[in-house]
Amino acid sequence: MAVTEQKTITDDDFQKFREFFYRKTGIHFDDSKRYFVDKRLVERMQATQSDSFRSYFVTLRFQTTGEELQQLINVMTVNETYFFREEYHFACMISSMLPEIASRKKPGDTIRIWSIPSSSGEEPYSIAIYLQEYWNDLEKFNVELMASDIDTTILEQAQRGIFSERSVGNIPAHITNKYFRKDKNGMYHLDADTRSAVEFSRVNLSDSADTRKFRKCDLIFCRNLLIYFDDVSRRIAAEAFFDALNPGGFICLGHSESMSRISGLFKVRKFPEAIVYQKP
Amino acid sequence: MGFAKAGQRPSEPDTSVEDAPLDLPALIRGLRDTEPSVRRRCAKELAAYPESVHALAASLDIERVQNVREMVMTSLALIGSQEAVAVLLPCLRSDDAFLRNEAIEVLKQLPEALAPMMETLLKDQDPDVRIFAVNVLESLRHPSVVQWLMNVIENDPHVNVVATALDLLSEVGDEKCIEALLRAQERFSNEPYLQFAVRTALDRIEQSKEST
Amino acid sequence: MKRVLIIDDAATVRMYHRGILKQAGYETDEAVNGMEALEKAFDGQFDLYLVDVNMPKMDGYSFLRKLREAVEIRQAPAVMISTEAEEHDETEAYLSGANLYMIKPVRPEQLVQCARLLLGERGR
Repeated sequence: MAVTEQKTITDDDFQKFREFFYRKTGIHFDDSKRYFVDKRLVERMQATQSDSFRSYFVTLRFQTTGEELQQLINVMTVNETYFFREEYHFACMISSMLPEIASRKKPGDTIRIWSIPSSSGEEPYSIAIYLQEYWNDLEKFNVELMASDIDTTILEQAQRGIFSERSVGNIPAHITNKYFRKDKNGMYHLDADTRSAVEFSRVNLSDSADTRKFRKCDLIFCRNLLIYFDDVSRRIAAEAFFDALNPGGFICLGHSESMSRISGLFKVRKFPEAIVYQKP
Repeated sequence: MGFAKAGQRPSEPDTSVEDAPLDLPALIRGLRDTEPSVRRRCAKELAAYPESVHALAASLDIERVQNVREMVMTSLALIGSQEAVAVLLPCLRSDDAFLRNEAIEVLKQLPEALAPMMETLLKDQDPDVRIFAVNVLESLRHPSVVQWLMNVIENDPHVNVVATALDLLSEVGDEKCIEALLRAQERFSNEPYLQFAVRTALDRIEQSKEST
Repeated sequence: MKRVLIIDDAATVRMYHRGILKQAGYETDEAVNGMEALEKAFDGQFDLYLVDVNMPKMDGYSFLRKLREAVEIRQAPAVMISTEAEEHDETEAYLSGANLYMIKPVRPEQLVQCARLLLGERGR
């Protein structure tokens, strides 16, 4: 069994890795991330029994299953979820996107917002809280919040609406007190009204039988999912979102993601708070 | 108003007429429907019918609505057969930049289907086709990739074909490529960009030699 | 210092153009295709765009057309750089909004001259 001799990553290795990774995922690691990246590269080299960066890179580049690339993406991306993560999208929703959407609707019309993946619920519930706290026109419209994930276990967890200290840590205290009840084990229970505002469903984004049920959406949040997809799956997802949206509807991706890698179907819209994508 | 409660939302209006499953002939006819949304839906569903590749390709010739064209391409990618590859290859010669580039993107996803043709493509008369072939190598997981790139830089007469190959060789080359790189450097001694690209590739290879 | 956005899907080409332009005293940023370029252009305050034609997701012509239509983006001259040498390509480039059209590979002096011309820095 080959033992990794190389314990450090040279500047050149880092550069090579960085360009390759950027091309594959759109994620750019600047020099400040050296420690983070090097540590994980060495881990993966050990896991694949590569005796040098070069041989690891060859595996990455030429392995027919693409499995190692997927593993690498998993370790290189931070996938924790918490309330009000990437808050600027929610701010953008309130200040820029909803006003535009609302201007095309009459009072009493439905506004449909879809969060996918819902994971354990932090994102859709963040949206629900934000709307209650900051959107003055909430009562004027019939707002349908939908949240989906491929994993049924996590969906069940999301529906229970019980969260850890860490998960709610980014919420201002007065809002936490308003929407959550803390139990004797230090867990936070989301209030029933907010929980019931979100309808959860199991959806595989690559399966058109699942996604065809989603239509006439005004706003979609799909943050930090597409980086895990291969190119064909991303195309399929982009098509599914296109079909799901009303004309003029918006989609928000994660900060390191860009529709530019995926599809020419959407228009880029730059708002003060965020760059989002719009169906023409 | 405000939030619609989960589980109490009215069910969607009956779209069973619009959504009634269409058979293959109907879907193919639907590619010519006057409504873009119908054409798009048909293009999407034809992904399940590998025999529809010719119909899909034919629609590319006349379709002008972007989102329908994208869907046709996605379906061809999903079908991914030798026939799909065969109908996409002529797009490389298209005057339409969207078709050219989209075809490249899709073909890059179909390495197994392309690999048998790669050597022929790399010798095509048209330098643009050869440039495309080199571009495809970027995503191709095949043991001969480096050898093919070396052949190109040693032998291809066209500066831009060699330039494209050099860009990739910078990333995947090893010391076996040094000879070929030096030869390219000689062949194109008057081209500053090529000199730059060769030097870049040589530097990369030198440095990764040191780290092993 | 004037800022140039270099738009090309090939890393080596971007590096090459970057080196030339930095030497000539310009600041540079890069994008790998037309859509990424649009995103960067929104904030970027660029004085010049260097645009490759053949890029995935959004080619150079589409980028230029969208750039020219976008009221939120600061307009600046654009050089289209292409492997194509046929007349209709050059016409399309100008119709899409390019100020100049060049064939690759470009020579350093050519690139610098074009940049200076379009940036109004004559007689240098």
